[in-house]
Amino acid sequence: MQDSLIIFKTKKSTYMKKLLTWSIPLLVLFTACKKEKTNTSVVSMDPVDTTAQLAYRSVFTDGPYGTTMGVAKIFKKNNNYSLVLDSFSVNSGPDLHVYLSKERQPVNFIDLGVLRNTNGTQVYTISGMPDFMEYKFALIHCQAFDHLFGSANFY
Amino acid sequence: MKKIILLVLVVISGYSGFSQNKTPGKINRFTDLTVAAGSGRGTAAFSYVHNWELGKKQKWEAGFGARLTSYFGSKQEHTTAPARLARGTTVPFAVVFAPQKSENWDTLTVQRPWSNALNLSVNFGYNFTDQWSAGFNIDLAGFTLGRKTAAILTSNGITTTEPAAKPSAFNLLLTGDLDHGSLNSEFFLKYKLNSRWGIRAVYQFYFSEYKTATAKQVAPDGTLVTRFRQKGNNLGAGLAYHF
Repeated sequence: MQDSLIIFKTKKSTYMKKLLTWSIPLLVLFTACKKEKTNTSVVSMDPVDTTAQLAYRSVFTDGPYGTTMGVAKIFKKNNNYSLVLDSFSVNSGPDLHVYLSKERQPVNFIDLGVLRNTNGTQVYTISGMPDFMEYKFALIHCQAFDHLFGSANFY
Repeated sequence: MKKIILLVLVVISGYSGFSQNKTPGKINRFTDLTVAAGSGRGTAAFSYVHNWELGKKQKWEAGFGARLTSYFGSKQEHTTAPARLARGTTVPFAVVFAPQKSENWDTLTVQRPWSNALNLSVNFGYNFTDQWSAGFNIDLAGFTLGRKTAAILTSNGITTTEPAAKPSAFNLLLTGDLDHGSLNSEFFLKYKLNSRWGIRAVYQFYFSEYKTATAKQVAPDGTLVTRFRQKGNNLGAGLAYHF
């Protein structure tokens, strides 16, 4: 009788351990957010449309949280704008995004998306027709922590 | 509208009649640790529950408790919170069923939310057998502490940075979008492993509320809005220890 009670308790204990063992990885699995990662291993070589007209150009300077090099270029073709990061490099960081911004430390901005690569030439489509007198900065910005990695001023 | 008020009155009178007819019986006290997760977010809740078993067969139980809920996530969208903007009415209870006014909603994307809400709660349950039970609980009032985090306010397609969004400090259940702060509620199914331990499968409905300091929504009526709410559906599991 006592033996069967011990076996029963051991089974329950094993069951509890299994439950706890499975609950932790399941929680991690459920809470794992979609990380939009910037590629750091290969150099990007996006093709640039050579028929588009160069509208603005500026050299990147470092931000307080990053070292950024390269040239930001705004190209225009058939009333469509695109931002080209030419000969570009930045140190890696979490959640890096490409912004067009009214301010160097972004308050009012247009998010062009996640920075796809920390090195090389990249092209980002600009939706709409922003006024570049207002949106005069191209930024590399860590969105999660609100940290500026680099900026280029078109004016 | 009259039908809704009548329905609420009937429900309330039913509960009060129920409680008057039944004498409180055995006490069911337990602590519970529940983890739940939704899209890009999670919660961990530790609660203490003090229930009285009710009815001739002691199948029903109701009582009060306290619950500490820690909420965390990444890039969580919160929308315009004040009920006068978010819903078609501000009448308590009726606000739950009122149409949503999504045309007034702006979105605050909280980058790294983390809040800890300590609330009083009310609990209801029904024991099908000695082992199986089901129930509902909801936070009533309390306070929240949490870190400030960056956020992005999107209003009519225009994005602005909020450098220091923080969780609303005080929590109060007023039904639906009239609520303030961070409030947890659960529907659950419970299985008692033995006289001490039980496990629960939980559907959680969690209200998270953040306030902005600099980025503000300009409402159609010209007022400035700084409160934004997320109503998150989460699934989870709990482990209970009975005293």
